Amino acid sequence: MALFAQHGHGKSDKIGVALKMRSIQGVILGARNEKMENVPGCVESIRDQDGQVLLDPQFYVSAIIPANDRFLPEYPYYKAARTAADFVGIKKLNSYVESTLDYQLSLGADRLLSPSVTFDSFESNWCQTALNLADASLDYHAGLSDAPPILLSFIFGEQALNSRDDLEAFLDQVTSWDTLFGVYVVICREERPYSQLFDPDRLANALYMSYVLGKINGLEVINGYSDFCGLLHRVAGSTAFATGWSQSLRQFHKRSFTKQPAGGQPPKLRYTSIPLLNSILLSELEQIHEIGRIADVLSGVTLDSALTETSDPDDWAWNLRISELHHWESLNSLDEKIGENSSSELAAIEQKIALAKELYVELAESGVVFGTLTRPNHLDQWSDAIKLFRSATSI
Amino acid sequence: MTLPTISEEDVRNLIPGVTEITQCGQGGQKVVFRVAVGDRVFALKFALLPSTYEPDDADVDESLLRAKRETEIMNECKSPYIVKPGPIDLGTASIGAQKVLYFSEEFIDGHSLSEILRTNGPLGVGSLQQLGLQVCSAIDELWSLGKIHRDVKPGNIMRRDERDEFVLLDAGLAFDIAGESISAGMLVGTMAYFSPEQFEYTNRRVMDFRSDMFSLGVTLYEVATGIHPFLSPTKSISHLYTRITRHVPPPPSSVNPAIPPALDTVILRMMGKSPHLRYRRMSQLQEALASI
Repeated sequence: MALFAQHGHGKSDKIGVALKMRSIQGVILGARNEKMENVPGCVESIRDQDGQVLLDPQFYVSAIIPANDRFLPEYPYYKAARTAADFVGIKKLNSYVESTLDYQLSLGADRLLSPSVTFDSFESNWCQTALNLADASLDYHAGLSDAPPILLSFIFGEQALNSRDDLEAFLDQVTSWDTLFGVYVVICREERPYSQLFDPDRLANALYMSYVLGKINGLEVINGYSDFCGLLHRVAGSTAFATGWSQSLRQFHKRSFTKQPAGGQPPKLRYTSIPLLNSILLSELEQIHEIGRIADVLSGVTLDSALTETSDPDDWAWNLRISELHHWESLNSLDEKIGENSSSELAAIEQKIALAKELYVELAESGVVFGTLTRPNHLDQWSDAIKLFRSATSI
Repeated sequence: MTLPTISEEDVRNLIPGVTEITQCGQGGQKVVFRVAVGDRVFALKFALLPSTYEPDDADVDESLLRAKRETEIMNECKSPYIVKPGPIDLGTASIGAQKVLYFSEEFIDGHSLSEILRTNGPLGVGSLQQLGLQVCSAIDELWSLGKIHRDVKPGNIMRRDERDEFVLLDAGLAFDIAGESISAGMLVGTMAYFSPEQFEYTNRRVMDFRSDMFSLGVTLYEVATGIHPFLSPTKSISHLYTRITRHVPPPPSSVNPAIPPALDTVILRMMGKSPHLRYRRMSQLQEALASI
């Protein structure tokens, strides 16, 4: 396992194409975005292409009020607008666990994902509810015969990562379950447009979590919706990471699951550049082409051919679908090179970051103007996060 | 802590059925006699009760509760690496002006690990491995009963000379994870072997078998090198807290080159500053030790 496509709204044919290209190894289906009657067919078609299948039951949406839950009300475990009172008492928790896991069992998913609720602090009551649901899930799973392994789901706001002490206490708790096989971790990003920015302290703590769970405790760790940062998690110790297709679906934002006024902008065309470690706007790529430096920012993957087959940007066959497939192919290409030795892999990624910074400087000196969200600021944040992570782990 | 003053004559008078009475040790809070009951030999342990102790205090006196806990645990555990109870049940008595409690347990013909260390210096790798595996097994059994020992240290580990086997003693501080804690909210145990989480009065952090794993790690480090990883002759005891919670000791092999790197890794991981940095299951630790 390595890169999963995170299923969102409007999947078209890209999952099948990406599986065929081997640029993803599996799919995390999202119940919210698929009619329940279609899910078995989705599972079958993914299986037919040797892809692994997980279903994120998105149980957590039931505690988001008012929720934008689309098809979730069709699912047997889902009920809208659950409040704290709905999570009091082990009988209730057991019934949520049973219905959520039984549904996944009926699908034949490769892993079961436990039901959970979102929280913003490891000290909060909601975190305790998430831990109680996890505990009940392990108990129920232990009584199932021939069930696939279960991953405990934890979905929390990035602000929870402000406190290292709270995170450590949480990790003590999670690693105390001796039957635990793995975890599915999703970090809810702050509500802002898509970018690779991530507060270094928080990112370092997130990496520490992956290191502790994956590398030290030998658990299977899947970082859902982690996009580019998923590569850092993989280096730290995670087993796999996932990202969606367009920018708003690549990372997890609670806003996506909350009822919003109608409207919104279509996704912008992007190009994922391995040398820049960023997903830049196509207009920026055109500027780079104009100064004759496009070869320096290309990712070196097969879908680059949509750009390299012609020298005139007006003839580039770049569209949203190719952009999304290219993003996966590029992340997968980076992921494939990640080895087991965290220390040397961290050094390798630090080297890539240093080279990306230099390239950004050269491009800026040549007149390329990047937008506020595609500038290299994230590279400094990643560097700082890796330094903090190295210091915390002595790697 | 004051020890009771008890003679062999006092023992004979208190428990007429015992013979071959010899004082064989004292330490911590107990005076220990080697006694025979019929043709079998046992250890008979005495500890002081408060001078104000009355039989009505049996359910509240801390020393008595600890001794009761210790004998209960000995009764529950089947592991050969946890000391077994003897035929004389827990009792209380007045000896002169002193009020004492006493109970019997299996007599282990051997020496404590601290004595061995003092006399012979560090153990060889094979013995270290054996010590680690056997005490792991004891900790694992305690944990299977929902208990944490909380005072794993060289002074509480004996080697049976005849079988070259290590046995964990003194479960009087054991903490029942599902029940009432004796000394809840207080520091109990021997500080030099405390896990970082044992210093947390508030019990905010998880306390489980991984706390005993840490203490065993400190013990293995000391037995591997002859040096305590956190105690320093030039530093005060108050410095100990900082050392245990912050200081990462050098690998044992840097002190004793006979220690293989794989054992370095195991011992240092046992002493991870947080439970989540140690082994998640005793079986993982046992596998790691066995593979050295």
